[in-house]
Amino acid sequence: MAAVKKTVDQVKALEAYEHGFVTDIETEFAPKGLTSDTVRYISAKKDEPEWMLQWRLEAFERWLALDEPEWANVHYPKIDFQDAYYYAAPKEKVGPKSLDEVDPQLLETYKKLGIPLREQEVLLGVQGAPKYAVDAVFDSVSVVTTFKKELAAVGVIFCPMSEAIRDHADLVRQYMGSVVPVSDNYYACLNSAVFSDGSFVYVPPGVRCPMELSTYFRINAAQSGQFERTLIIADKGAYVSYLEGCTAPMRDENQLHAAVVELVALDDAEIKYSTVQNWFPGDPVTGKGGIYNFVTKRADCRGDRAKVSWTQVETGSAITWKYPSCILRGDGSSGEFYSIAVTNGHQQADTGTKMIHLGRDTKSRIIAKGISAGASSNTYRGLVSTNHKAANARNFTQCDSLLIGKTCAAHTVPYIEARNATAHFEHEATTTRLSEDQLFYAQQRGLSKEDAVALLVNGFVREVLQELPMEFAVEAQKLVAISLEGSVG
Amino acid sequence: MSLSRALETGDLAELPSRRDEDWRWSDLRGLIRAIPPASPDASARGEGPFAAVCSETMLVINGGSARIHLAAGEKKTIALRLISRAEGTSHSADVAVTVAEGAELTLLESHESFGAGYITDVEMDITLGASAVLERVVVATEAADAIAVTLARVGIGAGSKFAQTTLAIGAKRQRIETRLAHPGAGAAVRLDGVYLVGEKRHTDLTSTVTHKGEGGTTDQLTKGAVAGQGRGVFQGRITVERGADKTDAKMGHHALILDDRGEVDSKPELLIFADDVACAHGNTVGQLDEQAIFYARQRGMTLAEARALLTEAFIGEVIDRIEHDGARDVARTWASEKLRGLT
Amino acid sequence: MLEIQNLHATVGGTEILKGLTLSVPAGQVHAIMGPNGAGKSTLSYVLTGREGYEVTDGTVTLDGEDLLALEPDQRAAKGVFLSFQYPIEIPGVPGLTFLRTALNAQKKARGEDEVSAPEFLKRAREVAKSLKIDFDMLKRPLNVGFSGGEKKRMEIFQMAMLSPRFLILDETDSGLDIDALKVVADGVNALRSPDRSMLIITHYQRLLDYIKPDQVHVLAAGRIAASGGPELAHQLEAEGYDKYAA
Repeated sequence: MAAVKKTVDQVKALEAYEHGFVTDIETEFAPKGLTSDTVRYISAKKDEPEWMLQWRLEAFERWLALDEPEWANVHYPKIDFQDAYYYAAPKEKVGPKSLDEVDPQLLETYKKLGIPLREQEVLLGVQGAPKYAVDAVFDSVSVVTTFKKELAAVGVIFCPMSEAIRDHADLVRQYMGSVVPVSDNYYACLNSAVFSDGSFVYVPPGVRCPMELSTYFRINAAQSGQFERTLIIADKGAYVSYLEGCTAPMRDENQLHAAVVELVALDDAEIKYSTVQNWFPGDPVTGKGGIYNFVTKRADCRGDRAKVSWTQVETGSAITWKYPSCILRGDGSSGEFYSIAVTNGHQQADTGTKMIHLGRDTKSRIIAKGISAGASSNTYRGLVSTNHKAANARNFTQCDSLLIGKTCAAHTVPYIEARNATAHFEHEATTTRLSEDQLFYAQQRGLSKEDAVALLVNGFVREVLQELPMEFAVEAQKLVAISLEGSVG
Repeated sequence: MSLSRALETGDLAELPSRRDEDWRWSDLRGLIRAIPPASPDASARGEGPFAAVCSETMLVINGGSARIHLAAGEKKTIALRLISRAEGTSHSADVAVTVAEGAELTLLESHESFGAGYITDVEMDITLGASAVLERVVVATEAADAIAVTLARVGIGAGSKFAQTTLAIGAKRQRIETRLAHPGAGAAVRLDGVYLVGEKRHTDLTSTVTHKGEGGTTDQLTKGAVAGQGRGVFQGRITVERGADKTDAKMGHHALILDDRGEVDSKPELLIFADDVACAHGNTVGQLDEQAIFYARQRGMTLAEARALLTEAFIGEVIDRIEHDGARDVARTWASEKLRGLT
Repeated sequence: MLEIQNLHATVGGTEILKGLTLSVPAGQVHAIMGPNGAGKSTLSYVLTGREGYEVTDGTVTLDGEDLLALEPDQRAAKGVFLSFQYPIEIPGVPGLTFLRTALNAQKKARGEDEVSAPEFLKRAREVAKSLKIDFDMLKRPLNVGFSGGEKKRMEIFQMAMLSPRFLILDETDSGLDIDALKVVADGVNALRSPDRSMLIITHYQRLLDYIKPDQVHVLAAGRIAASGGPELAHQLEAEGYDKYAA
């Protein structure tokens, strides 16, 4: 009960979108619009080697030949890709040597966002509290990465992608684009051409990464898109837990976020990837503004017994188009997808996962909880498939939708493709509204209507929250409550 | 875009392809390279599966039209035989069924084949008045190399009852689709299906139910067994439009894959635009319960006997829901015969 | 009748039975008691040939015939019957249909004539009556929605109908109240005969008050740790299994 009370207090104390401030900082932009020159500009800005530029240019050529996808259950005016900036960076020189060189206003921004950027702040925390190594990405570039030394001591590489391209070219060339091919889809292809920065993680064989790794993404500049690219490789027997958080200022116009995340897990490796996405959802009444979030996230369980677990809490963005997936290639590999998607106001979310069973004895599990309120639309779209050779593939899927109010919509669109006699797939879905009986029961025992809703919603999403690292579970619970504020009369 | 348009115009571009979301698993464009000539006139053969349980029969042979009309308060059981007696030709049929207020019709429909390599297309328009009752039982037995598409557009009145059971064994490509506009208003819909697909056959049972008004129920149960290189497709979409509160809709699809080259594709969709609803779907693809097989074998059944018994029981759950006693017996016998062919 | 020699068996790679030796002569009732996890249920599945229970060493013979080489249904046809601890629900198959299919399959395997429907129904009615089973219950899908007690009674009903030679009762008393227990025990006792043997697997002595065993064995850590007369069961009830702890 204490937790609920706290949540409710926090809700009251906060604005509807608490990260909606703009940091006034001098920004350097690429020329507006998108041509091969833009691609060259970005590559040059980042001092990239020739192979990287060629890779980008090839992606750009392919992108020109692709059509924007229309199958998702989202509706928006046609995006003018020429009316955006593809590169925006704080004017301070990219890649500061230490925290002291970082613009204090930037640090202030991250402080407002509650990111434990300064190591000392983390260290000052409660004794025994877990450490989080943080990579912070501001508009197009990574501004600071913490705990690098401590990680390097055990051989873990955690750095901005731009740095990895220079310092770990072999690894980048081996793995980048190997999970999400350049022309996989329209947005991934665009990202391949113009990606600016992102995080790179490599965990060597047998190493258990000693701390949680996390990246915070922030879109600050107006009319700019963010195209980060993240690559995480867990070598044989390695383990890593990674968390990303996302925010953006409130702006009237729509901003584009088209990221690509690739995960590679080799034999016996395990990757846990958690997302708390809180991009600006647009004006709750008019639906104006907000982030268009078109993201391609895919994991390749390339090795035997590899394991990847995606957990996502999606509360923000005007439009979310996102299907974190697992290719279960290795024998005995397993994939998990735990999702909470909350939509309110005029938000539209079309999100889910793909579990592609290729190896023998592969397992997958999908738990998706969708909550729609206001005039929003929330779609779960998922694919579970197995080929002729994937003997003993197992899947369990549970997707539940909760509707709050008369004007929202909740959809469930699962695709199941089973192609052998030993496959065993189970899918259950329910759509219900918040139970009036339960609401009344809670109110009769003294909870206000808002408290009662928060309590019931927390119960609805508990199974997924449990999958998040503790600190983030608390944050996520708070976010869910904030997102639904004002949804019941 | 549809097969019937393509047959009518001769334009192959009218054929739905895998790029059309609703035809992703049942491509026609890649399959039909040329529109075959029209099927010749022919006479009926045999007496159809429902002859013993039904006194009135309507015949549609190699395409054509049929009209079935029940006046208010009338009560009838009619067999509708759609016969393809054709070799490599094509034909279309259109059937209109109207059941006026308070009337009750049991429509026992058989799709029968006495030929090979044909393309058959059936379009039906079914209208139920207020408080009317229609039970439609479809037994579709097409040739292995035929292409057969059936589309039924169903409109039902307040307080009416529409129940349907489709039993199919597939064809080179077979699609049996039902599109139902549900007014809510106390109307009750049951939409069931059984597919038993072997060899290289394909079948696609697709349905869309759109709840447009308050207080309606839809209960859907489809079960299938796939053997050989057979392929079963189930697509079910239940839409609950804004304002269609107090809708109670459930959809179940459960399939067994009996051989490693068999395939089952399914997409059970719920599209919900109203909040005061109870909607659920369950979907499973797998094998018979191993514990049940062991239990049956412990009591003395051979593996083959245990499988046959349990598979029949699995499918039987759908057949048991047929209300017309005679039709239920026909369906059960038909299914157990087809199952023996599979296992 | 049943001879088990040095039986070793693994489940999922873990050895559960570790050299079990046991002999049950014709006409006798033996009880196997033991703490949880001793391997009692594993023994019942190994004897009936469930997949996943792998025999790594030892022999099991029924009247001199190797049982381990046979499929589960072949063992059933030889007269081995297991009353399941948790009887399986089989939706869509009426109890009578299930049983008649099983009975005829066994008869066919033994080269006997199938039983006719009227003959079968007549006998089913008699047996159901003696076990206080409502005949209509037999027309319902097997065990679906039945209470624990009803399921156990259905097991005994099938046992009586199939007339096996070697009966294994796996925790048959669990979930039964005292009245149901008496009905079940009466049913089992009615089957006792000089050419039939029984193995009663149980955690508690309670059932043995109603079905008197000739011998009691303690199964602990995958082996027979002690054997004795019916008094051993009372001793176990009083002292527990502690002294047999592995």
